[in-house]
Amino acid sequence: MLEVQGLKHYFTDEQGRTVKALDGIDMHVDDGDYVAVIGESGSGKSTLARHFNALLQPTEGRVLVDGMDTAAEENLWAIRSRVGMVFQNPDNQIVAAIVEEDVAFGPENLGVPQPELGRRVREALAAVGMTAYAQQGPYLLSGGQKQRVAIAGILAMAGRCIVLDEPTAMLDPRGRREVLATVKKLNEEQGITIVYITHDMSEALAAKHVYALEKGKVALAGTPEEVFSETDELERLGLEAPPAGRLAAKLRKAGIKINGNIIRDEELAEALWP
Amino acid sequence: MAITLEQIHYTYSPGTPFARVALQGVTLTIEKGDFVALIGHTGSGKSTLIQQMGGLLQPSEGKASVDGIDLSRKEKEIKAARGKIGIVFQYPEHQLFAETAYEDIAFGPRNLGRSPEETDRAVRRAMAQVGLDFDTFAQRSPFRLSGGQMRRLAIAGVLAMEPAYLILDEPSAGLDPRSRRLFFEQIVKSHKQQGMAIILVTHNMDEAARYAQRLLVINEGKLLYDAPPREIFAKYQKELEEVGLAVPAAARLAAVLRARGVPVPADIITEAELEKFLLTWVKKRGKK
Amino acid sequence: MLSDITLGQYFPGTSVLHRLDPRSKILATLCFIVIIFIAKSSASYILLCAFAICCALLSRVPLKLIYKGVKPVFIIACLTALIHIFSTKGGEVLFSYGIVTVTALGVEMGAKMALRLLLLLLFSSLLTYTTSPIVLTDGIEALLRPFKSVGVPAHELAMMMTIALRFIPTLLEETDRIMKAQTARGADFAGGSILTRLKSLLPILVPLFVSSFRRADELATAMEARCYRGGEGRTRLHELAYGTLDGGCLAVMLLLTAAMAALRWLS
Repeated sequence: MLEVQGLKHYFTDEQGRTVKALDGIDMHVDDGDYVAVIGESGSGKSTLARHFNALLQPTEGRVLVDGMDTAAEENLWAIRSRVGMVFQNPDNQIVAAIVEEDVAFGPENLGVPQPELGRRVREALAAVGMTAYAQQGPYLLSGGQKQRVAIAGILAMAGRCIVLDEPTAMLDPRGRREVLATVKKLNEEQGITIVYITHDMSEALAAKHVYALEKGKVALAGTPEEVFSETDELERLGLEAPPAGRLAAKLRKAGIKINGNIIRDEELAEALWP
Repeated sequence: MAITLEQIHYTYSPGTPFARVALQGVTLTIEKGDFVALIGHTGSGKSTLIQQMGGLLQPSEGKASVDGIDLSRKEKEIKAARGKIGIVFQYPEHQLFAETAYEDIAFGPRNLGRSPEETDRAVRRAMAQVGLDFDTFAQRSPFRLSGGQMRRLAIAGVLAMEPAYLILDEPSAGLDPRSRRLFFEQIVKSHKQQGMAIILVTHNMDEAARYAQRLLVINEGKLLYDAPPREIFAKYQKELEEVGLAVPAAARLAAVLRARGVPVPADIITEAELEKFLLTWVKKRGKK
Repeated sequence: MLSDITLGQYFPGTSVLHRLDPRSKILATLCFIVIIFIAKSSASYILLCAFAICCALLSRVPLKLIYKGVKPVFIIACLTALIHIFSTKGGEVLFSYGIVTVTALGVEMGAKMALRLLLLLLFSSLLTYTTSPIVLTDGIEALLRPFKSVGVPAHELAMMMTIALRFIPTLLEETDRIMKAQTARGADFAGGSILTRLKSLLPILVPLFVSSFRRADELATAMEARCYRGGEGRTRLHELAYGTLDGGCLAVMLLLTAAMAALRWLS
């Protein structure tokens, strides 16, 4: 689905200095994969996200979406209809004043004719559980519901990959759960590829693969088990392992023997009291 | 000397089809030097409640006062009371407006009628409190700072009013773990050194468990619980979940361990406590 | 709270007027405005009033609400009437005191002028009461589309209006939040001279502008990410379509126009 080869993204700041936002990223995301990208503020996460649907162009290196180079102008719309973005602020990505019209915005831009258009909108709203709100104004929705509408907008474009850039940062716990559950369901039931950018490790636990960024480079990569067991390294990156992982590491340091990679509550319980 | 709310009711747009009851009979007292966490899901009445405390909304019914000053009085008279209460709203960096960081921070103290010398002293102290170096940042434009620095600058703008009570509405939202930790270290320091009362509105149960001495749980405009966090998180796990809240991650982990048969006491709510317990427990078990 | 502001004057319903295509309603309103200025004789005014009352009743919008819509021009209408009453000379003198004379012709002219204004406003508020702003935008876009070849940016105008409608509640909320935040910092927005008042608004206006620019920037990125590239080749979820009702509307307006023309030029 996504292939990132030696991606560098440099820009010049106000003082005229060159900032290396991304400094040689290699990454591979399979069809139907669920990848979490973690890193502290300024690590380059959001810049990376914007490369996946050609909102940014590489300074060096390549980004391929289903084999299409994001640097080639003629691929632009095919890439953007395939890879959708959900941004942090739920308010600033809803265009229309009625939910169903907003979901239709993407496919309308692609020129999808009726009745196909109506069907897509209905199916997309149903997939994120927002059918009941089709006729409402977005300002009446909660943050979690707005993000689900944004996801529906991508599904209606027949997108196969959703890139979410800190989608829950502005939401309450309920909204967080809604978004996570929706993402998980789409990944499992419809095989939608997910790239989930966050600095909340508990949200990254649901992923199949995790990339931790530091100053525009990949510092850690692997399964959640592999990445989150590196508690010291995560600490150095300004991140935190999930509670069970942190506790397991502390107990180990105190000389208690705990086997295996521990990142989830149940795994710690299993290790302590088999 | 305290913030007292007596039987506060509040309804938005009363008498219209859009009327919405936000608070129904909330009574509570916040003493000087308290560290209180206020939790409740979105729409539970949290933000209405803090606006009542700050005198920004007049109650439909009931009485609110700060250090004996009735907040239902005229604009001019409650200005003195407003100076005692600082409110850091969600995403406070969105309220920055002045040309320099110094001017922005000085806005509050000047409005309160402080002299230029007092204001200058307050600005310097507030910047030190949030960890912004005076010489580096005072003359910079607020809009040229990084997101984290803007947030700290905005908080300094409230601290410079030297409030006796500081209300923080989701102050760590959107911060990464490291910035979050640093932020709370500074707040705890201000609380301890100046005896400033803190009212922390949060969605993060771990923050509530770790820092607050007292926990207020609000649901559908009513105060559900008012007790130390340890007591509430130990006793009412199920009830909290029913109102859309949760217990801290450490308490959840403790519950999983308990279900497995590890004898974790019910009153463990922070990671440090759980770690301490597990260390002694594992060692004791090893000896047997 | 916010909902009443957002919907503008829209009064949701399913009346005949609600179900008309927005294009028909806009055209009918324009047509009516033109007709008002043809009216001259008392008979034509009676016909117009009767028609307007029928429409108001058909809309099923509570009369109280309609009155509220017309109220703002009531004073202006009264003033207009008074000016005409006192300045028009001719006809039978009804009342005279010093230099003030009131004639029958003056009263008639005054009443007609006031009626014109009231009818104008009544009709346009009926349009906004029975058409949601969103549908109204669609109607305007569709009506402007033929003029695209002469350089009228129909799609862009409509997109701007849609986005404005979408963000009005958000910006109102934001203004409220910023005002509260500054009030909590001791800001005072009332009192003082105009200059101090304007100055005291800066702490609200600057953050509001900054955040609006940020929102605009983020929205533009989000729109681009969703393949937006202008109006070319776009389809619409809800295409407007004329129905039998619209045929009826057309017939009624033609009849009314004919009757008015007859009253003016044939009698």
